[in-house]
Parts: sequence; structure tokens; C-alpha cells
Amino acid sequence: MSRPVSRATVVTAIVRKDLAEYASDRLWAFLTVMVLVVVIGMFWILPDNVNETITVGVSGLDQPGALADLEASEEGLVAVPFASADDLRAVVAGDADAWTVDGETVVVDRGSDASAPAGAEQADVSIGLAFPPDFIQSAAAGQTTQATVYVDAAVPDEIKGAMSSLVREIAFAVVGEDFPVDTTSPTEVFVVLGEDRVGNQASARDAFRPIFVFLILMMELFVMASLIAKEIQERTVTAVLVTPATVGDVLAAKGITGALSGLVQAVIVLVAIDSLSPHPVLILTLMLLGSVLISGTAMIVGSTGKDFMSTLFYGMAYMIPLLIPAFAALFPGTASAWVQVLPSYPLVRGLVDVTTYGAGWSETLPELAALFAWCVGLFGLGWIVLRRKVQTL
Amino acid sequence: MTDNAIDAVDLAYSYGDVRAVDGVSFSVAPGEILGFLGPNGAGKSTTIKMLTGQLTPQAGTVRILGMDQRRQREQIQARIGVCFEEKNLYESMSGKENLRFYASLFGIRNPDTDTLLRRVGLADRGKDRVAKYSKGMRQRLMMARTLVNSPDVLFLDEPTDGLDPVSAQSIRNLIRQEAERGAAVLLTTHDMHEADELSDRVAFINEGRLYTVDTPENLKLEYGQRSVKVRVRAGDGVEERTVALDDAAAGDTLKAAVASAGLMTIHTEEATLEHIFIEMTGRGLGG
Repeated sequence: MSRPVSRATVVTAIVRKDLAEYASDRLWAFLTVMVLVVVIGMFWILPDNVNETITVGVSGLDQPGALADLEASEEGLVAVPFASADDLRAVVAGDADAWTVDGETVVVDRGSDASAPAGAEQADVSIGLAFPPDFIQSAAAGQTTQATVYVDAAVPDEIKGAMSSLVREIAFAVVGEDFPVDTTSPTEVFVVLGEDRVGNQASARDAFRPIFVFLILMMELFVMASLIAKEIQERTVTAVLVTPATVGDVLAAKGITGALSGLVQAVIVLVAIDSLSPHPVLILTLMLLGSVLISGTAMIVGSTGKDFMSTLFYGMAYMIPLLIPAFAALFPGTASAWVQVLPSYPLVRGLVDVTTYGAGWSETLPELAALFAWCVGLFGLGWIVLRRKVQTL
Repeated sequence: MTDNAIDAVDLAYSYGDVRAVDGVSFSVAPGEILGFLGPNGAGKSTTIKMLTGQLTPQAGTVRILGMDQRRQREQIQARIGVCFEEKNLYESMSGKENLRFYASLFGIRNPDTDTLLRRVGLADRGKDRVAKYSKGMRQRLMMARTLVNSPDVLFLDEPTDGLDPVSAQSIRNLIRQEAERGAAVLLTTHDMHEADELSDRVAFINEGRLYTVDTPENLKLEYGQRSVKVRVRAGDGVEERTVALDDAAAGDTLKAAVASAGLMTIHTEEATLEHIFIEMTGRGLGG
């Protein structure tokens, strides 16, 4: 009587075979390496800083130190002095260019033959504040006065509104006391809905990180789905199932192969793009769950596909919705409700929070829980679909 | 408890409204080769799937080596070998790698792949990828894979399909060797000569029902004609005579024919398995 072979032995044998098959498939091996190289290269090419400065042209503020006070009043504000309101208006309207050299601003009409002064830097002025000549005196006397705000048509309404507030702040900064405010007017109150990332915006590298990670997971999906579809189409799985291997062993092995290959590739990328800090274990946990999520999806895709092209088609059909949260992370603000219910959302959100904003285990717990629930659901569904497929061969 | 290697009792299986297998019962003893014959769609594959644990019978029981297929599946799988009709090998792997992988599923760490490959005539092609194998080579590798765990029960589905006559004969020899070793063999084939040559007994299945299980000799005696055909040279032509063996004068007639200088051939009028199958079921084996 032969001794029964252990489940671990069987599963290990299938995993080793799957990995060997993966490695020997030249197309997938090439694509995998290519995606890894491209992703890592693109990450380092992208800028890692955020330009949060607003350049404002100012005329009529001649008091010494006024512009410096103005810049100090608002983080990221750069004030460029203009000799006259007309120059300022022309520059904001796009009829002239402003060049700064040695603290002086030179305005050059776009239609003229004059060239930029030597050693000058162009000032990108899209907002202008033109103060009347008696602004300081009037403000100091507590009299009502009027400043003109020039804004380019492309400047968002939020910025236009902010400029009104800025004028009041300038008055305060210049005069050194509260600017008379009409008490009948509603006091301006900013209520930030969702996450307030002001002054803490993600750089292009940070914003693209989830997409890069998803490219790796996408490769895992296609490779796993392809391996599964091939095993079904060529009926090799039926030969495996007349040995001591059970359907459960085959499914467990596929899950492990998928999770392992996805995790290893993701770790390679995260190490190469220096993104495993500040919580490496937490990031690896997120990636492991992400790989399991994708493995479950690959089981569904692999069971559905009938050949290489249809597997590719179904793979794309399943991958696109999963990619949406990664693209949503490119844009500031809170993602739409329908994006938040996608299975990959907790993964993307968790990755962004941890790698970009340094969130820890406690802050990421809701995302981990949601991701775990999705993993159980999708992997379970993949298990059922693949089991049915295998049993009907 | 019986000493049979395979015991199938009242097996039944339906795909929807289609009754694929209906009350099939038979047994195979250790060392016996049972030819399982029937046209496509007769229920052969479904029966084998139930015997090998790929399908759970909807009715009836399967015992392999005295063990219940439902309750002792894993112990059974460890001691059987299955050769499929479709060439389900891993094409990107070499012949040796295929054998090593299947051996590892049985917990065999260092399989003697060289011996296995030599037995099927692939000793010098073991390192080649299966994708480069011809149809016949794949079939031979399938046979080697079936033997990787030295099984006590073999299920062979068209094992010589696509092979040249020499390779087919070597596979038949291999099957005989396995039976001589003590393995029970359930052999499905469309080649009636092969079934006749290899099988200790044959089973006829058609439309899900088993018609008979008996030795080829008994079937031929029961369904064949007891007659001899004699061909003698007569002048410039050939004269052919059929001698009924039950005829009282048969002995004298045959003696005279043998003594005749013009005797060319004497043939028994034995029925073929295909003729018997058609007579029993009213349907050919071809389709």
C-alpha cells in the first residue's frame, strides 16, 4: 500500500510547474521584464515635486517692503511689480509679456519687434492686482477704496474669488490693522469637503505610483489567465486530476502562483522606485492582497477565455474597471462614490495613503478590511467558476 | 470484498436528459486486460471518468483495488494510471520534465525517467520540448506518463491511436508486460484486431448499456460460423469451397482437400469482433 501524498507536496509541485511554464513562455517573460523596466524608468523620469506657486502682478503698491509682506502673507505667492495698471492689464490679457531682471519688470508688447532684455526671466502672470495711488492712505484712514483684480479667462472661479480675499489680506499686511469689512456681507468661510490636501499635493511620481503598480498586477492577470486558459484548453488539468491532486489543490496552486508572481514583481518595482517606506510590512500586505484579488480575477478570465485572443479580450474587460481607481488617484479630490465601490479602490487608496502621505496601520485599517473582503469575494468567485469549468471538462 | 482490481456495479450517469451510462456492471481482475469496445458516444468515456474519479456516479458503485471511489479517491488515484485519447501534455516542457512533474504529484522524488522513456522508445528525445514531438511521439510519452507511478490499474483510451505499426506493436508489448506484472488493464480501442490480440475479455457498450462481457474466443464461437473455406487450383482457375464443420462428411472433405495437389489455402470462417458487435447491437463501431 503506497503512502498518501501530502497536500503541500501536490500544491508545491503544481506551483513549481506553473512558475517553470511562466518562465519558459518567451512572450510573457519578455512582456513581464519589459513592463518592469518601463514602469521603473517612467517613475524616475516623472517630476517628484509640485509647483504650487501663484505669480501675481501688482501695480500701485509703492511702499517699501510691501511686496515682500504680500509674498509672506500667502504661501506660494510670488509678487511681480508693475509700473502701471495698463501694463499689468496688457500682460494678463496676453497682449504683452513681462520679463523680470534685477527686481525690475520690463513689459514687451507681443506685436513689437523689441526682444526680451538680456538675462531676464519671463514672469507667468495670469492674475493682476491694480491698486489705486491712494490705496495705502485710504486704507490707513479706514476709508473705502477700490482695487482692480485682472484675471485671465482661464483662471478658475475659485482662484478669482480667492483674489478678492487676498486684496483684503494685502490691506491688512500693508496697513498693519484690520481692513474695514462690511458687516452686512457674509463672512467668507472655506469649508473643505473630503480630504484637504492644500499644501500637501501629490507629485507626478506619487500620483502615478498606483498606475505603475497596477500595470504590474495587470501583467499578473494576463499571465495567470493565460496559464489557466491554456491548462483548460489543452486539457492538461484533467491529466493532473487523475493523480492524487484534487481540484482544490489545482486552484490553491493557481492562487499561490498568481499571488507569488504578482507580489514578487510588485516588490521589485516598489524597491526600485524607493516606495517601500515608511511602512514596508503594511505596503507588502496591501500588495499581497492586491495580488490575491487579481489572481481571483485571473481565474474567472482564464475559465472564460477560449483562446489567446479571447483571454486577452476578457482580461481587458475585467482590468479596465479595476484600473479606474488608479487613474482617479491622478486627480485631486475625493473619488466619486461609484469609483469607491470598485474592488481595486481600497488597494489604490491604501497605497496612496501609505506611500504618499505616510499613513500607518490604524489609518489604513478600513482600506485593508475592504480589500480583504473583496479578495475573499473575488477569489471565492474565481474558485467557483474555475472549479465548475474543470469539473465539466 | 472481492479480489477484483476494478468492480463497477450498476453505474449510471446522465447529462441532462441524455442517459450516457445506464446500469453498467463489470469487473477486471489483476493481470487481466479488458477490451472496452463501443462506438463514439456509446458511454465509454463517461464510464472511464466515473472509474477514474473524474465524475461521481449518479447511481451505482465503483471499487478500485477494493476501495470505494467516493470515499477513498486519493488512495485510489495514487495507484492508477490513465492514458487519455487527447494528447494532454505540457507542450512547453520537455518529455522528462513532463514525467518528473507527474511523478511529483504522486510524491515520487526521483523518478526513473530514463527507463520510462526507453520503454516507449523516446530515450534520445527526453530533453526535447513536447511541442517538437510528432503525434506518435506524444502518444508514446502519454504511455510513459501513465506508467510513472507503476500503477496497479491502467485505464488506456486508444493508446496506439496515431502510431505507426512498429510503434503500435511496441506499445502493445508494453501493455502485455504491464498485465504480466499484475496490473489490471481497461483498454478502449477502435482497432478490433488490437482488442482481439490484447484482450483477455471484451465488453461491448452501446447507447450507455453493456451488451456483453466475455472472452473473444467465446464470442467468436457463439456468433461465428463453424465452417472452413478451402481454395484449390482447378485448371487455370481457383475453386473455393465452404465446408460446414457440423456436416458429417466434413472430415473426409477436408482430408481430401489437404491431400489434393492443387490446395492453395484453408481458412476458418471465424467471426470478427466488429461483426459480432454489429450483430449484437445493430450498430457499427465506427460511429
